Amino acid sequence: MYNFLTGPMAWFSFLIFFMGILIRSFLYIKGLDSNIDRVTYRVNTSFGVKEAVRSIFSWLLPFSTRGWRTQPLMTTLFFVFHVSLLTSTIFLNAHNMILQERWGFSIITIPNVVSDYLTIAVLVTACLLIIRRIKLPHVKILTKPSDYFILLVSIAPFLTGFLAFHQFGNYTFWMLTHIISGELLLIVIPFTKLSHSFLFFFSRAQLGMDYGIKRGGMKHQKGMTW
Amino acid sequence: MFKKILFATTGTPSCDAAARVAFDMAKRYNTELFIINVFGIPSRSFSQVITDLRTGDEIDLHDDQLVKIKNKLERRYQQQIHDYNSPHDIVLTDGIPHTEILRVARKKEIDLIVMGARTSTEENTGSVNRHLIGSTLQNVARSARCPVLIIGRAAASFWGGISNIIFGTDFSKGSSQAFEFAFNLTKMFNASLHIFHAIDISSGPFEFTKNQEVIEDRIREVRGMIRKRYISKMEGYNDYEIDVWEGIPYVEIVKYARESFADLIVMAHHTKKMAPPEESVFGSNVEQVVLRSNAPVISVNHPARQKK
Amino acid sequence: MNENIFCTPNPVNDKDALDALLRDKRGQQYYDEMKRLKVDTAALKKLVNDTCRSRIRTWLEICAHCGMCADACAFYLSNDKDPEQVPSYKIQSTLGKIVKQKGDVDNAFMRYAMDVAWGKCTCCNRCSLYCPFGIDMGVLMSYLRGLLFSQGFVPWEMKIGSGMHRIFRAQMDVTVEDWVDTCEWMIEEYEDEWPRLKIPVDKKNADIMYTVNAREAKHYPDDIAEAAVLFSIAGENWTVPSEGWEETSLAMFAGDWEGAKLQVKSVYDAMDRLKPKQMVVTECGHAYRATVIEGPYWAGLKSGKTPVETLHYVEWVAKALRSGKLKIDPAKKIKEPVTYHDSCNYIRNGGLSQYGREIMSYIAEDFREMTPNGEHNFCCGGGGGLNGIGKYRKERNTGQKVKRDQILATGAKLVITPCHNCWDAIRDLEEVYKIGIRWSFLKPLLLDMVIVPEHMKPQKEENEEE
Repeated sequence: MYNFLTGPMAWFSFLIFFMGILIRSFLYIKGLDSNIDRVTYRVNTSFGVKEAVRSIFSWLLPFSTRGWRTQPLMTTLFFVFHVSLLTSTIFLNAHNMILQERWGFSIITIPNVVSDYLTIAVLVTACLLIIRRIKLPHVKILTKPSDYFILLVSIAPFLTGFLAFHQFGNYTFWMLTHIISGELLLIVIPFTKLSHSFLFFFSRAQLGMDYGIKRGGMKHQKGMTW
Repeated sequence: MFKKILFATTGTPSCDAAARVAFDMAKRYNTELFIINVFGIPSRSFSQVITDLRTGDEIDLHDDQLVKIKNKLERRYQQQIHDYNSPHDIVLTDGIPHTEILRVARKKEIDLIVMGARTSTEENTGSVNRHLIGSTLQNVARSARCPVLIIGRAAASFWGGISNIIFGTDFSKGSSQAFEFAFNLTKMFNASLHIFHAIDISSGPFEFTKNQEVIEDRIREVRGMIRKRYISKMEGYNDYEIDVWEGIPYVEIVKYARESFADLIVMAHHTKKMAPPEESVFGSNVEQVVLRSNAPVISVNHPARQKK
Repeated sequence: MNENIFCTPNPVNDKDALDALLRDKRGQQYYDEMKRLKVDTAALKKLVNDTCRSRIRTWLEICAHCGMCADACAFYLSNDKDPEQVPSYKIQSTLGKIVKQKGDVDNAFMRYAMDVAWGKCTCCNRCSLYCPFGIDMGVLMSYLRGLLFSQGFVPWEMKIGSGMHRIFRAQMDVTVEDWVDTCEWMIEEYEDEWPRLKIPVDKKNADIMYTVNAREAKHYPDDIAEAAVLFSIAGENWTVPSEGWEETSLAMFAGDWEGAKLQVKSVYDAMDRLKPKQMVVTECGHAYRATVIEGPYWAGLKSGKTPVETLHYVEWVAKALRSGKLKIDPAKKIKEPVTYHDSCNYIRNGGLSQYGREIMSYIAEDFREMTPNGEHNFCCGGGGGLNGIGKYRKERNTGQKVKRDQILATGAKLVITPCHNCWDAIRDLEEVYKIGIRWSFLKPLLLDMVIVPEHMKPQKEENEEE
């Protein structure tokens, strides 16, 4: 079981994950249409690229856009959740040990205790996000069951990994569920709203180009005030 | 002298006196008569809903409504239309009243616009509407390329038997045009022309208003100006009088008109087109005279239109 | 069987049909017929397939339902944070459903979508600045309007507006003759005070071709004269085209892409005909958006730009003040507190925010910004055609509360609104809420304070007295 999950199944899920990303990214770009979108992607491209980069980075930095600044609580939740989620996954000691073992390389890692805190942060912020969905009328009205589903899929590997690492109850059970949920996450990312993990960059870049090329980018002195 | 008369009416009692004169003149001089009623101003952007100028209600711009308004107008002027007994044209339109009146006057090459003066309760929507600063009367009188006959009080609504015409001058460019018109009318009626100027002592340097000798010097000077500028152009017509008084111009001219049994007052209306609102709001001399005088007032501001 | 007379998927293309539609008072019969208007689901499906590409599909798909767009929306805030006014909800429950169900929607749904598309959104695009993913719900709403128009689910006034453009190439029934005649008339009107004033019609190779909003020709011709005076004072070599003079586009508000294309082409044709160096657009927001920003795409111009460079009126004024073509008499600057309303269509969607500020630095002594302002300014409520739609008048009035509070907070009693629809909306705002403000275009204010060169002044007659 363990061998299957860490062997063919892992390959399969990574394949789906990366292929999915590649194909969807390709389809996104292919589907852009200067005339229908009313943005000349190929004319005055430099203005578009400049604003695309600004559009992405402004939103990657906490509190660097007016949108982030005007909703500080949500912004904090958002960044703690996403930053913890990504760093605790990528820089986790255990994950890098596997990399080292299989392919003979690893990247920098963070101490286990930090990973622990980050994982707890992911779980706590996820709970807060759920509470937000239930409590705030303007979020509640938007919320569909799938929103809970993808949130649960996203945090499942963290919960199970945390339990496995600290050997609550049956280590093997938690480890297997951790691997399964991780692989499930990889597989669903390209096909659900979780595709925002990469489509974010395209969507932001597109709007950046839109404002940069067409809607005033060539008239602005300092570029769009994001 | 008048071939086409345009009667601009709000269709309310405040225009009844003007209606009497308009129909009377049209019949007397056998002119073409156009009646214009700007019944509402556009107030809902580009839409078909407009604000009724009389009631402030929202009305719709469509045929039934126009027919209704037309019927109402015809009912109000039923007797006059019957007496006039010639074809007339009724123009019903929405828009800014003075803009539409001037537009039609220009398009139809009108020789005389006849209109009533506002009563205080009307046109109170002005402040919230575009380009409605100042009254319709003021705007029409200022910009029309033909004389504008304004009937303020009911007592001023009798046209005919004109034997005393007052020409009030302030020596402006418009006054020269007004003089020309007044003189032509005088000849036409074989009337007597009273050329009048009031020295404004309500403003000006203190020394000037205090010293009666200075004022009287000025009066002599003005009389000379009148002779030089107007009498010299009267080709020997000698039924005229010159009078120069001091005071508040519109008060003096109303008093003068009463004393000289004026049948008609001719003046120029020459506020600037782009005068700041606070100047326009208080109204010009012409408006004040219209509201106070028992004689009809004709405002002339421009040379007669060159016929195409 | 569709037995509808007025409410059909077909646009209005001739004068008889337009007149008939106009006679239907406030669209009573029109809206009644709409209840029976059948949705052509096959056509809708095909249209979605042809025009809904990856950008829109991705936007609809990745929306995380986070609700961060809510506070961006003037309508949401004005309606006491009604969750149904959350931009994402408005778009997901309408366009989202059409796309998801591949056009398989019914009449009731389409009427609901119409209520949302015109009654709850001015397409001000403000929410696009607050979505972390950069989802532009204003663009989505405009697209939805196009789908609705193609099926005939469009407010009565919008149907009329689109018809006006198709018939007159203007938003109102102003013909080329009317327009040229109005220009001539204005010269006569102003000749006393501005003896050398000209409005050159169809002059070739001028530096500036000036285009306007049809309402100026129809109701407010002084606006044209004021522009002429300012161009003259600035010594510009300018002209107006006899055809292609109308800059606005109710067709854009209506979602009538074909009509919008016809309209902008008339302006581009004028450019080709007259070969001006630049075009300047009057103080109108959506006109600039339609003809300068979106128009080139409708007309299929690969550059994405108008055939000749185009300036909005605020750009021209700012540059004229900067270069000294227009000089302001310092004594006549605006002394009282004054604020400036940013029109979404050329500020957020046109990048011209700095010009308004530059102008204010020349003409106002106590300029007070609204908060927020510039690209982040709130819509006045008059965008997207909402000023003229009777059916959604109430919604529009409610939607103005945010702007009302923004103005009140500045303490200024004078609001400068260099946009026809904003001007109207702020006027209406005063009518509805009575907060004691005045509002103005730039032109009349500039005319009050600009220094007039001697040669422009009327020659005084000898021995004339004031």
